[in-house]
Amino acid sequence: METKTIKESPLFWPARLKGPVLWVLDETLIPQKLKYIKVRNTKEAVDVIRKMKTRAFGQFLVVMQTFLLEINNVGNGGTGRGPSLRLLNKIQKTAEALNNSRPTFPFAEVTSIVVRWARQAIEKKIDIRVFVTKSIEGYLAGIRVRRLERVRKIAALIKNGDSILTHCNVSGELAMAAYLCRQQNKQAHFFATETRPYFQGSKLTAWELQRMGADVTLVADNAVGSLMADKLINKVIVGSDRSCANGDFANKIGTYQIAVLAKEFGIPFYVLTQPSDKVKTGRDIPVEIRNPRELLTYLKRKVVSGVVSGFYPGFDVVPHELITKAIAIDVH
Amino acid sequence: MSTDTDQKAEDRASAQDLALKDIEGSVILIQGVFKPAVFNLLPKGNGNEVFVMEGRPSLESANTTCQELLGRKIRPTLIADNMAGFLFYKRLVKEVWLSYQMADEQGALCQIGGLILGVLGKRHHVPVKLYPSSEESKLMGKQRDIFYFQGVKVAPANIKGYVPLMEWLPREYITEIHA
Repeated sequence: METKTIKESPLFWPARLKGPVLWVLDETLIPQKLKYIKVRNTKEAVDVIRKMKTRAFGQFLVVMQTFLLEINNVGNGGTGRGPSLRLLNKIQKTAEALNNSRPTFPFAEVTSIVVRWARQAIEKKIDIRVFVTKSIEGYLAGIRVRRLERVRKIAALIKNGDSILTHCNVSGELAMAAYLCRQQNKQAHFFATETRPYFQGSKLTAWELQRMGADVTLVADNAVGSLMADKLINKVIVGSDRSCANGDFANKIGTYQIAVLAKEFGIPFYVLTQPSDKVKTGRDIPVEIRNPRELLTYLKRKVVSGVVSGFYPGFDVVPHELITKAIAIDVH
Repeated sequence: MSTDTDQKAEDRASAQDLALKDIEGSVILIQGVFKPAVFNLLPKGNGNEVFVMEGRPSLESANTTCQELLGRKIRPTLIADNMAGFLFYKRLVKEVWLSYQMADEQGALCQIGGLILGVLGKRHHVPVKLYPSSEESKLMGKQRDIFYFQGVKVAPANIKGYVPLMEWLPREYITEIHA
């Protein structure tokens, strides 16, 4: 199987359940350290999400596997009406806590899948614990296969001699596609934007592309126009955090201006999406406004002196008309 | 059916929209460092918000520009260089002020990032005004400039960097050039 030949990036599957502990890759420590955080319950799961220790696909994995943690924490017993309802209550409370962790990522869409399984188990009078556990495990296995398929689609999109701009980080998929391209003797160059204020482009994307043996160059976020005007890139590939029914999507702050520039310079703009029709258009997506302190300070040192305000929208929205093609996987 | 959780998310979104609505169409977005006299041209009084791009890699422009503004009792709002698009998308920007080093009938040599703001200005029909820079900048920085932030290394070892510091802004993206 070709699937087995794809070298995996640590960012591709950054959270793994082992016994009573969910081990979550601390993305804020990369590239200095590859360290996993111990998560044992919902509170700790919400904490790693809020503090951006994990993000994007990592959030999704944490959410799904937190239910497994909590099911384990409740212990045995799920067939009688009382234990079943107690477990359903626990699952609903877990869902609610996760839904309130951050606003832009569609947590409620993800958690509602698990709550639905729990309700189905009660309706069918089957063991809720076993049914939900098996459903989550099967669901994640399916997602894994689809993401690996998408890695191959991305690799197929990349042609010999391409120069590709990416922004923030697409959770391993682009780096793994770069690896596949090398296996296929395709030469491609990658430009990674540094992605202020958390530097996911510098710390994660440049790091994982380099680990995969890809030719990668780091640029400041403000150098994108120069790259395009000087014809140094011929494709843009980015990820997404949330999709809308009309094809608009939200992604890390900075994606919108890259899409506008790509349109202006006639450069194809590709996005990896997880389609959803729960939100009609990008105007309806709640964009998280984060604490400006995260922008105004770095490692507790002020970025500029004096009494200066800051504004830090965590995401922006790209209208569908700026997208050349969405490379989608069905997560429902 | 709407849940409490949905409602909380909507409330949060509404609160954000309300705050942004208050400054809709009132932001003057500044990039670069102007000659000191240019800062005196900024409109006085309420109704204007001055946002300043941080200007990677050196951040020198953000530092200097913020100090010039604070000295004129204008409290600036700092944003990262990748956040300008959001302001345009939300229709917050009234006009863009860019510093330029030299200009002719074809366009102007601006600090890196000027082209992003020029293209956004064109798409959103926002005037892009150019004012002379206070200093001459090199065309290219060193690779290592982008590997560090505030003296702390943020990039992996043995990576390449491309660090243009200036770029050409064609005339079609410029509304006014002030001498």
